[in-house]
Amino acid sequence: MKNKSFIGYAVLFAFLALFPITNDPRWLTVVTTFCIYSVVALSLDIVLGRAGMFDMGHALFFGMGAYITAIMNVHFGLNILTALPLVIIIPALFAIVLSTPIVHLRGDYLLVATIGMNIVFEQALKNDLLGLTGGPNGIFGLDATVFGFYLDDGITIYYIAFFLLLLTLLLIRNLEKSKVGRALHYVQEDPIAAESLGISTRFYRVFSFALGAALAGLAGFVFSIQYAAVSPEAFNFMTSVIFFAIVLVGGKASIPGILAGTFIMFVLPEIFREFATARYFVFGLAMVVSMVLRPEGMLPAKYGKLPKYVTED
Amino acid sequence: MDIFLQQVVNGLIIGSIYALVALGYTMVYGVMKLINFAHGDLVALSAYIGLMFYTQLIGLGVLPQPLVVVSVFVLTAIVAAAVALLVERVAYRPLRNAPRLSAVVSALGASMMIQNGIMLIWGPNITIFPSDILPAVSWTIYGITITFVQAAMIIITLVLMISLTLFINYTKMGTAIRASAINQDVAKLMGINVNMIIMIIFIVGAVLGSVGGLFIGMYYRGISFNLGWVYGLNAFIAAILGGIGNIPGSMVGGYMLGLFTALIAGYVSSSWAEAFTFILLILILIVRPTGILGERVAEKV
Repeated sequence: MKNKSFIGYAVLFAFLALFPITNDPRWLTVVTTFCIYSVVALSLDIVLGRAGMFDMGHALFFGMGAYITAIMNVHFGLNILTALPLVIIIPALFAIVLSTPIVHLRGDYLLVATIGMNIVFEQALKNDLLGLTGGPNGIFGLDATVFGFYLDDGITIYYIAFFLLLLTLLLIRNLEKSKVGRALHYVQEDPIAAESLGISTRFYRVFSFALGAALAGLAGFVFSIQYAAVSPEAFNFMTSVIFFAIVLVGGKASIPGILAGTFIMFVLPEIFREFATARYFVFGLAMVVSMVLRPEGMLPAKYGKLPKYVTED
Repeated sequence: MDIFLQQVVNGLIIGSIYALVALGYTMVYGVMKLINFAHGDLVALSAYIGLMFYTQLIGLGVLPQPLVVVSVFVLTAIVAAAVALLVERVAYRPLRNAPRLSAVVSALGASMMIQNGIMLIWGPNITIFPSDILPAVSWTIYGITITFVQAAMIIITLVLMISLTLFINYTKMGTAIRASAINQDVAKLMGINVNMIIMIIFIVGAVLGSVGGLFIGMYYRGISFNLGWVYGLNAFIAAILGGIGNIPGSMVGGYMLGLFTALIAGYVSSSWAEAFTFILLILILIVRPTGILGERVAEKV
């Protein structure tokens, strides 16, 4: 089993690393976006799949990273690299402040509260908050020159996105094997038992939000460089719904599942471009069909062999 | 003062729509513990279907105007109920014993299918309702203007709510619905056909929602394919404000949210209205997570 997944990852990474050889600009953009969206989906999975918190507003943190980059670069004329620490810290701080009062809510209420945060964020962007967010059109014209290199060049940004994906996978692998990862899993399975063993459910839930937000912010940074522009539509409630669907269609806490989910939701539509208008109809159909056929997701995570009465709700 | 009273009337109108739609969410949630995301889009679909029936019936020219309006309401309600049953059968029933989140994703998928189905059939632009569906009479009382449409909306909503309350509280079927909401397994042991109860709540919810959808069309005149998410989310917030799963709670929540949005739009800013709504929701969730009229549920942690 372990060998099989090792070979799978090796093939995937080799494919991604060598992909620019194809020299096809359109597909290079698609695969760059795939890498970025995979990172966002994996960061949502830390909150949704690993900590079990129903977060349907994750595009908020993704957008926050992108907008911080754009504001720093376009409005304050600073080099794009100066935004790098901020796109990690600010979303994480926001996540801590926003999630602390609501993490104790029952699942569905948390879901609605996070939807609410996403919509408040979207309205703030559209209403040109403090004259910084640029209103419904967003912000254009990012200058991604660092030491004479153009980061928004197709191949450069592709490798940045690919590197970010590798970094994220490494981080999640370490998370899985660390005390924090085990604690999150425990908190999700049985909060009362976790509390009674001295694991602070509130701390780990807020922690998962902060970590997820920081990663999503970083993905937003790369996203804004790739398109040299940001607009509210890219980070609305609909985007959050799609990421939410990716995690559950792929399989909670399952890295191959989430990568496959991102592939199906973002790369397949590029292949069937002639159906562009029916795109969301097909998304909806895919969500219903895949949930009915595989309620646990396409590639559910495996946690060793537990007797059935332990894993059942 | 006149502006205030006028906004209160507007609030009651919007509140009626929210309350009607919220009842659909709350009843399904009460029995199935599932957020029926497709409900808002069913409301939008009802508005389009109703307009289609109206143009067809007027085109026939056989029925007098009041009878046409009544038949439009009845026919739309039947179609909406049929679609709701279809969604329940295809997207929700197979997932009844699956993890909660799988059902949520399936509900979102159904919602996206209806929403984009509307877009593919009727196009992405705003569709306009004719203005002469109901007589253009209006009354002025103490400086407030109330049109015929507004009066009809308030009265019909009240009648529907009173009937629903009587149905839930004083009929055998209503008792069965309440029993299934408390505990489905025990309800089954008592000989209640829970499958049928679930179908009935979907029908009742769809009928109320279809009335809401037609009201949206007649009152605002312009409908677009994504109005389901706008009204659906607000109605859902109304349901939570009142305490989801609680039928009188949804009615109170609907009117409260309607008044709140109308006053915000009148006195603060309409472009921030949604943000204020959600901030109110988050504050209520922090202070009183089960809503205003919701029962206190023992939280696990």
